[in-house]
Amino acid sequence: MNVRRITMRVNGTARTADAPHHLTLADHLRTALRLTGTHIGCGTGDCGACVVLLDGAPVCSCLVLAVQADGREVTTVEGVADGDRPAAAQRALVEEHGLQCGFCTPGLIVRMAHAARHGGGEQDVLAGHLCRCTGYEGIRAAWRRLAAEEDGR
Amino acid sequence: MTTDHRHIGRPVPPRHHDRLVRGHGRFAADLRADGMLYAALVRSPLPHAEVTGFDATAARRDPRCALVLGPGELAARTAPIPTVWRLPGQPEDAVPVAVRTARYAGQPLGIVVADTPTAAADLAETVRLDLRPLPPVPTLADALAEGARPVVPGTGDNTAGRIRFGSPPEEVAAALSRAAVVVERAFTLPRLHHTPLETRGVLAAHDPGTGLLTVHASSQAPHAMRQDLCAVLGLRADRVRVVSSDVGGSFGSKVLLYPDEAMVCAAAVALGSAVRWTESRAENFTAAYQGRGQQATARLAVGADGRFLAFDADILADLGAYATQAGSGPAQVTGLTLQGPYRADAAAATVTGVHTTRVPTGAFRGYGMQEAAFLRERLVDETARELGLPATELRLRNLLRPDELPYTTHTGLTYDSGDYGAALRRAAALADRPRPPDAPWVRRGTAVVTAVEITAFAPTALLEAYGIAWSGWEGVRLRINHDGTVTVYAGVIAVGQGIETTLAQIAAEGLGIPLDWVRVELGDTDTAPHSDLSAQASRALTLAGGALVTAARRLADRMRQLAAAFLDTAPEKVRTRIAATAAPSSPDAVFHTPDGARIAWREVAHRGYRGWGRARPTDPIRLEESVDFDPPQLTFAHGAHAAEVAVDLGTGRTTVTGYWAVHDSGVLVNPLIAHGQIAGGIAQGLGQALTEEATVDADGLPTTRSLREYTLPASPDIPEDLVIEHTSTPSTVIPGGFKGLGEGGTILPPAAVACAVAAAVPEIAHTLTSLPLTPPRIRAALRAAGLTAEGDIR
Repeated sequence: MNVRRITMRVNGTARTADAPHHLTLADHLRTALRLTGTHIGCGTGDCGACVVLLDGAPVCSCLVLAVQADGREVTTVEGVADGDRPAAAQRALVEEHGLQCGFCTPGLIVRMAHAARHGGGEQDVLAGHLCRCTGYEGIRAAWRRLAAEEDGR
Repeated sequence: MTTDHRHIGRPVPPRHHDRLVRGHGRFAADLRADGMLYAALVRSPLPHAEVTGFDATAARRDPRCALVLGPGELAARTAPIPTVWRLPGQPEDAVPVAVRTARYAGQPLGIVVADTPTAAADLAETVRLDLRPLPPVPTLADALAEGARPVVPGTGDNTAGRIRFGSPPEEVAAALSRAAVVVERAFTLPRLHHTPLETRGVLAAHDPGTGLLTVHASSQAPHAMRQDLCAVLGLRADRVRVVSSDVGGSFGSKVLLYPDEAMVCAAAVALGSAVRWTESRAENFTAAYQGRGQQATARLAVGADGRFLAFDADILADLGAYATQAGSGPAQVTGLTLQGPYRADAAAATVTGVHTTRVPTGAFRGYGMQEAAFLRERLVDETARELGLPATELRLRNLLRPDELPYTTHTGLTYDSGDYGAALRRAAALADRPRPPDAPWVRRGTAVVTAVEITAFAPTALLEAYGIAWSGWEGVRLRINHDGTVTVYAGVIAVGQGIETTLAQIAAEGLGIPLDWVRVELGDTDTAPHSDLSAQASRALTLAGGALVTAARRLADRMRQLAAAFLDTAPEKVRTRIAATAAPSSPDAVFHTPDGARIAWREVAHRGYRGWGRARPTDPIRLEESVDFDPPQLTFAHGAHAAEVAVDLGTGRTTVTGYWAVHDSGVLVNPLIAHGQIAGGIAQGLGQALTEEATVDADGLPTTRSLREYTLPASPDIPEDLVIEHTSTPSTVIPGGFKGLGEGGTILPPAAVACAVAAAVPEIAHTLTSLPLTPPRIRAALRAAGLTAEGDIR
């Protein structure tokens, strides 16, 4: 099998592991690196559960090959908090009841945390994330709280 | 108890959320085991075919392959899955795991196990299937056509049994003959995909030494899964453990053991090792059971005074290729709940199961009640139009009043409490707002609809009467540990609905202690009390919560008696003083007497565990209470929903511009969670009203196989103006006064939206009997009525 040893900086730490050429970044994170916070809801880039930051930009990690991330920087849901202190996006989703089963949540957190810093309209940020539990009410409230907090800085 | 510990009614954020937002979930695909192998299923590409060959030679020769089980091996290793709820006359009473004839596209025929997920998937592709195609029977019309090929071999036609509920035929006929108006319509409620964000998944591990099979599954009902696995694999109950950890959405799609899940477990037993299977999204769209799927002809007979005389329906339920464990259950509930919250001289329904060559149907949030609400509320709406009465006026005239409750419907359901008119009037008032100016080609309309919701689905006598071979009762074990902390064990499980938080609130309130002293442990058949139905049918909080109210009262009494013994006083003289943030060992968490003697909560627990302080040697020692609760009857939640829609006469597109819901679920334990349940249910209901339909092509092959072909509501699809309010009529049959609310939000949106479209465009009202209300469907109705964007401007 075609396997390549790849190294990426994940949540601030260099991680080296073998990756078959066909393996997606999502699968590599979840299996070789044991970071199961990134969830795979569809595998086709439609649901947004697997969003991570690749060199600081949000991507669906199910649509990126692991080998494409070789030598690059990856941030997953496990890396957005500041140590024990949850990130503002995490706090906002908990406080606004923006999750129920929590399966879609990791991608949403990564996306919201990114957009809060770099800007983005509500539709741009949320429309690519499917949630089957909440009806989006709490998610929208969380986004608005987060955006207001960022504006207040 | 001090007022510091009033936990019931507080909007506490669910306790599992902190873990989930950090990426520390434990979903089935996250779990690992030593030496774990991976499974992929071999599925039928055709909807109906005889399997004449299953050649896995190439796969078996591959060094990455650990095992292949084809139809022959599966037949030797598995028995069919028994059913628990059947229609009279249903031809089959089990769902086979091993098959020689495929009856739906996506049906699992065999399983391949290999050392990586990719190898398993690749090797499954190499299995050569020889299939002799048989004629597909994709629709109810195809199934019931003259000379149709029976899906179940050896049966005369494709009907799968029939049952009639409610008033005798002569009473319905008499009511119809007295009617001034009879409105009859033909309805179609399409099949739906549940589409939980987490697909199904199983990690099955068999230990050949002990003979223990441990199964971690994304399941709503681990005990039922264990019972079915015992039957399928011929294993003893004491050798099978099923654990549900985190479940990423379910909505009824994870209540039953599926054949593919059984194959994964059979493979683990055959290998004596651990095997994991994670369903792909495409598999979820083709092989996971679907919801709804009914056609009905229904009628409402009304007197000249607008009084409802009779509801009557003939319901055809598309069961698909097999009647699953609960098979026709949802359609039976449609028949049982057709009368809804109204008074009527007669109400009846006939439910006929029909087999097609499509994936089986089963439970979906709202379980037949959404279908009943759609039939009933559309009929009421059409009748009001026919009589020239405002629909809300007609509804209010016929709604049961609080002083008429308890009321037993013609199908034998007894409503315990509620104020149906109050909810309807409130929803109507909320929706009554000035309409913004619209473009000339846009029409706007508003409608208010109402329903009751069966909750606390449990009573043993009821389940027995319906012939449902599941237990309904729920049990809890409440334990005060030796250090004074508290553990709750319950048979219901967490599926994102926050039950671990609401149960903790009930326990903490009953014991008069801080919430964070309580841990709730769910989902493991080795430690949880038995529960067949578990987290479905809006029952977890009412039944486990009702049991917990009793358990907490008993344990609080025992703690007080022990404290009295240690303080050398009478129990009635003992008071507690427990600060909101105190630990169990704190001097701020004590039992005390009026004269100042005191003992810490922890000390009472610790001494209790040593067996000290008992009045009699026969008194129980362990500080644990086990309570099983079998309610005397169902308890009924109710609600009214109002929708405002804008219909584009040019495109046929319907936009929901406002939505107002008023629900009554009795005493709310956690308003934040209650709100979230209703909001999420409404979003699902809006999707079902406007976009969702599981389809097949003319050859019977599924055409909704991805999230691009099956449109779920996204954030922009949910109206900004969404208001949810609660009224509270406590249950009269559940300790604590709780009523269920898991399904309430989902039941009414299709009826509300369709009636609102009818109000916006009365010219097409009579056609609004099929879901979803897609632009092409509305556009066709508009054109048939001679309405176009241009025409309306003129």
